[in-house]
Amino acid sequence: MSAIILLSILGVVLLYMGLGNNKRLLAPVGILGLAGAGALSFLDRRPLPAWGHGAMAFDDLSVAFCVAMAGITLLLFVFGSDYYSRTQENVAEHYALLVFSLTGAFLLTSYQNLLMLFLGIEVLSIPLYILAGGKKRSYRSSEAGFKYFLLGSFATAFFLMGIALVYGMAGSFDLKIIGDYATANAEHPAALFLVGMFFIAVGLGFKVAAVPFHFWSPDVYEGAPTIITAFMSTVVKMGSFAAVYRLIGVHITALPLAVERTLWAITILTLLIGNLIALRQSHFKRLMAYSSIAHTGFLLMAVLSGDALAGRALFYYTLTYALATVGLFVVFTLAKRAANGDEHIRIFRGMFKSKPWLAAATLIMLLSLAGIPPTAGFLAKYQVFVLAVQNGYVWATLFAAVMAVLGIYYYLKVIRETFTPNEEGAVLQLNATNTAVIAVCGIGALLLGVWPMGLI
Amino acid sequence: MMLLTLALVLLPMLAGIALLVARPHAQAKSIALLTSVIGLGLAVALYAGYDATNGSVIAFQHDWAPAIGLRMVFGYDGISLLMVLLTAIVFPFIIGAGWKKPLSEPALVNGLILLTQSALFGVFLAQNAFLFYVFYELSLVPVFFLLLRWGGEGRRAITMKFFIYTVLGGLTLLFGLVYSYLQLPAPRNADFATLQKVVIAPDVQLWLFWVLFLGFAIKMPMFPLHSWQPDTYTMAPIQGTMILGGVMLKMGIYGVVRFVLPIVPAGVAHWRDVVIVLSLIGCLYAAWIAFRQNDLKRLVAWSSLSHVGLMCAALFAANTAGITGALYQTLAHAILVVALLYLVGGLHERLGTAQLDAMGGLKARMPRLAALFLLVMIGSVALPLTQGFVGEWLMFNGLFEVSPWWTFLGVISIILGAVYMLFAYQRSMLGEAHKAGDLADADEIDHWVLVPLIAATFILGVYPQPVLDLLQAPVEQLLTLIK
Repeated sequence: MSAIILLSILGVVLLYMGLGNNKRLLAPVGILGLAGAGALSFLDRRPLPAWGHGAMAFDDLSVAFCVAMAGITLLLFVFGSDYYSRTQENVAEHYALLVFSLTGAFLLTSYQNLLMLFLGIEVLSIPLYILAGGKKRSYRSSEAGFKYFLLGSFATAFFLMGIALVYGMAGSFDLKIIGDYATANAEHPAALFLVGMFFIAVGLGFKVAAVPFHFWSPDVYEGAPTIITAFMSTVVKMGSFAAVYRLIGVHITALPLAVERTLWAITILTLLIGNLIALRQSHFKRLMAYSSIAHTGFLLMAVLSGDALAGRALFYYTLTYALATVGLFVVFTLAKRAANGDEHIRIFRGMFKSKPWLAAATLIMLLSLAGIPPTAGFLAKYQVFVLAVQNGYVWATLFAAVMAVLGIYYYLKVIRETFTPNEEGAVLQLNATNTAVIAVCGIGALLLGVWPMGLI
Repeated sequence: MMLLTLALVLLPMLAGIALLVARPHAQAKSIALLTSVIGLGLAVALYAGYDATNGSVIAFQHDWAPAIGLRMVFGYDGISLLMVLLTAIVFPFIIGAGWKKPLSEPALVNGLILLTQSALFGVFLAQNAFLFYVFYELSLVPVFFLLLRWGGEGRRAITMKFFIYTVLGGLTLLFGLVYSYLQLPAPRNADFATLQKVVIAPDVQLWLFWVLFLGFAIKMPMFPLHSWQPDTYTMAPIQGTMILGGVMLKMGIYGVVRFVLPIVPAGVAHWRDVVIVLSLIGCLYAAWIAFRQNDLKRLVAWSSLSHVGLMCAALFAANTAGITGALYQTLAHAILVVALLYLVGGLHERLGTAQLDAMGGLKARMPRLAALFLLVMIGSVALPLTQGFVGEWLMFNGLFEVSPWWTFLGVISIILGAVYMLFAYQRSMLGEAHKAGDLADADEIDHWVLVPLIAATFILGVYPQPVLDLLQAPVEQLLTLIK
């Protein structure tokens, strides 16, 4: 809880710092604050019913998610000190909004009642609507912001309606009571409860970009400033999945059959569509958008397996996914700079020649996303397969394994570009902070695979 | 034993990484050769210290991610040891094949070759199913780069095709392993010793068989999953083809022995005829196509396909002679493929082409090379006294126990094999010379590479007992598991 308070204060402080002219101090202050928030959430864990009459509880899993999300945001801030040094005005607002959004993500990991869930989602999303449109003079960025806002509020409306209906049937916002209600009525669920759960699924499905609620994500990923895209595909994903898991993995475990079947259908569709469309992408950010959708499919599978260890698997998966993704977006930004703003994957060409270490790190991160051993991404996928098969979802797992092959194809395409010589010879520039971020991500993606440190 | 086993995996890995990082282009091939020779020494030491009556030896174990069955367990039995020896024997020659005319950036090439070797040692020494899988996939990565960077025409597309094909088999294998592992009772791990005792319902085995087998069938490759192979073999640099055909293909055979036969015996019994028939069709079909080839490298690719079809068929005969023969043949085939490809590479270097119609009358211009070619050819058509003969004789024995007719088909493929090989020899070495002029005959390095390989062919052909001793106990154990 104190971490959330610290983050809120940090956001306000950053906003006020924007009044002065000292742009350089923003990132360091933010980094200190984030480190503090990570440390506080670790020190401050307290089980149910700890805060606000049982509205929030910080168990081990939510603490792990909070620390990891603070860490990933911290990496993005380190990257931001370079990213924002040349492209942006109003930098303070950007940092502040990122921190506010992170606050929402913290709420999502630890809510105990549906109102806090709603609050978390809104606190997470509203800053993102602004951030996605952060490049004020860019047509694409404005489109991204507006599209995200419109579709996002549409989904929110569904979500709110769902909460209202579930409240109407269960008589409480409290997850435990709703969970008990669902278990008691597992055989013959009330129609309104069903509809409510469907609507909630729509809202959350939108947040995690599950098919068929994914249409916003490629355009928003493409249009938003790269650092925001990186934030959306990592921290937002982690927070949203922590929320999904808390809702249907921990509390409402006895899902009505219709809802469960729908969710499996969504999972299968997400795996299929995400991977299939990603095959044809040659624009890096759109590729990452569709691959992110595909990863959503694997993560949903872990949640729906209903295994007691699904939370750990989700954490490991999202953490390793986030590490690789952040690093790749940093590399992409550097390559894009060298290529004068081109965003096609061919901008990775020639990297091996000019910066072999950078190419090696890129290789590790891409292999991790593709799930090839010995990187962390392999253990993550393999763990999901184990959980799903263990709980009897044999054919879905086989399907997911085949879909993972498609995933390997499009990541390999990027790897192939990275190791193809370049005719033009634009050389990308690395500075110390970016090197540090990429090194942390690359080493993390490899090390967690070789030595999972008890996370599995 | 622990140190030896770990050193086998770690030494080439560290040397390979060192080569990739430091890039000493001038010394690269010496370092790589030295490493692989030390690797051979280690493998021989491992073999010398192995007592065949011991069964399988666990040399090192450590938990990795025990919650999902992944443990770091290294060890070996006779079959593993044969594969390790095969890998260790072949790699110095593969590195030697790049001695005279190295590919560009030799440090990278040799570094990648050593990394592949390390992964292959890992594959054959792993005693845990998931650890096996880790190395199985890992071995693809350096090969991917070898093909992508040093391959011939069309390498970008062909490399992708190769990789995706193999990875498809890999992921279904992973799924199959996960499924089999989860059928074990609760405190479980996926070590071979445990996993081999798994009991799976017979009706499940019917589909699980294909899930497990698909990856290995692609790796070998078995007809009709072979469409990646001829292009990849032809396009790859000679050393890459040697790795693919000499060693990586054997991962398929090894995988069938390790996983398919013991885990899904009922599935094997049910699908045996289908697999054998497909393999024999592939065997004949590939032999026929090899006969029609004009490009010598393509011919070797198709002939490899033909040979591996026979090995696969014999393996699925699932009796002592068949399995022993197939495993014995892996060694023979590895040595042969490397020698043949070395010759193809040598001819290509001298003539600038590997097309048969551009050759002819070469014997007159380079008699020593022609003699070496002839000796390799004799091994390839499996004349008695060569090790190919021992392997084939055993394989036919195994097949005969199942059905004489299949043996008959197999024998036809051997005849075809003799025909296309001798025909190729005739077209390249004998007859009228197309062009006059001097060609460099086989030099010292050619002899250093080819003579030991040819010698091995004949020694193991006359005295195969050490290898057969190695195989006897584990094959018997495997058969008791199947029954």
